[in-house]
Amino acid sequence: MRDEETGTWWQQITGKAIFGPMKGQQLEPVLSDEMIYATWKLEAPNGQVLAPVTKDSKEYESDWEPHVAKLPVVISFPGTPLQSRDVVIGMEMNGASRAYPLDSIVSEAVVQDHLGGTPILLVVGPDGKSVRAFVSRARSADIELFRNTSGQWGLTDSSTASQWNFQGCAISGPMRGECLQELSALKDYWFDWRNYHAGTTIYKR
Amino acid sequence: MASSLTEKPQSSNNFLLGIIFFFLACATVALFFIPAYIIQPFKYESARGLIVAMALKQYSPWLTLVTSGAALIISMMLWRKISVWKKSLLVLGMILTCTAAVMARVDYFEWMFHPVAAPGFNSIAKTSLDDPEMVMAVKFNGDARAYPIREMAYHHIVNDVVGGVPIAVTY
Repeated sequence: MRDEETGTWWQQITGKAIFGPMKGQQLEPVLSDEMIYATWKLEAPNGQVLAPVTKDSKEYESDWEPHVAKLPVVISFPGTPLQSRDVVIGMEMNGASRAYPLDSIVSEAVVQDHLGGTPILLVVGPDGKSVRAFVSRARSADIELFRNTSGQWGLTDSSTASQWNFQGCAISGPMRGECLQELSALKDYWFDWRNYHAGTTIYKR
Repeated sequence: MASSLTEKPQSSNNFLLGIIFFFLACATVALFFIPAYIIQPFKYESARGLIVAMALKQYSPWLTLVTSGAALIISMMLWRKISVWKKSLLVLGMILTCTAAVMARVDYFEWMFHPVAAPGFNSIAKTSLDDPEMVMAVKFNGDARAYPIREMAYHHIVNDVVGGVPIAVTY
């Protein structure tokens, strides 16, 4: 990325200035979600959506992912259990990094893990596609959450049996009103995540 | 006798100038071409290669100005003294040199990208996006924004201010 003001080049994945007058500077990453539009609409009914640029809108594609999956990769890591274009959810915590293969997350629906000494939780939303990550700690205690086995979509914590939603907030039970701290979770191709996180581990159930 | 004395140094002088012109033209083209070759889409860039490319990219606007300026002076010095086919070589050399000098000043890496100049936003009611589409979403100070992936995958970057926070959304 290049900024108009100084012409500095910024590395997209890290936000670091790598060339030009601002070299060495670092943009602060912000929390963002990658999710299904229908799910986002329910959570943010007053939200605003980026409008299509009229002159370019016929160029937009929704099914480009199979094409990109076939593009050559510029760097690969043979000997690792994942293929270059496998999609992972990349997480970083206290200097530790781990790749969670998207397929396993989706099939497990809820993943409880520890990363960098912190209890973390990855949840697949009610739409079966959106993924969020949280610190699974409430009122200074580590908690464990499970998907409800019947009835409406929801999560139950094992210590108080409170009900939690996909935004990480307790909506009923003793924990009502508590919200878990959300974590950045980067959806990325394995080769790219591994390239920028040499010490990454891979999640295995 | 007298004529051969004056002519000989003249032609070897021309030869020397021609050689210098050739090297200046090559240098100018190299200053543009090497970084363009190293930094290609879908091509592996070694850390060392990238350092070389960045350094050349940084200094090439000035260096190409010097080399192409010198090449122009030499071709003017030679012009009246050389044959037609040598003149056409000079012209060809100057065209390549000038092209390289212009390209050294251009952000040609960005030609394939189409950033959003002035992003517009719509309410959910006024948005026609299919429910199963993916979006990138942020929320600051109560303001929620969604950036449809099908738009972001084309434009790659959008500058926005959400809830007072200036952000660059990239995909």
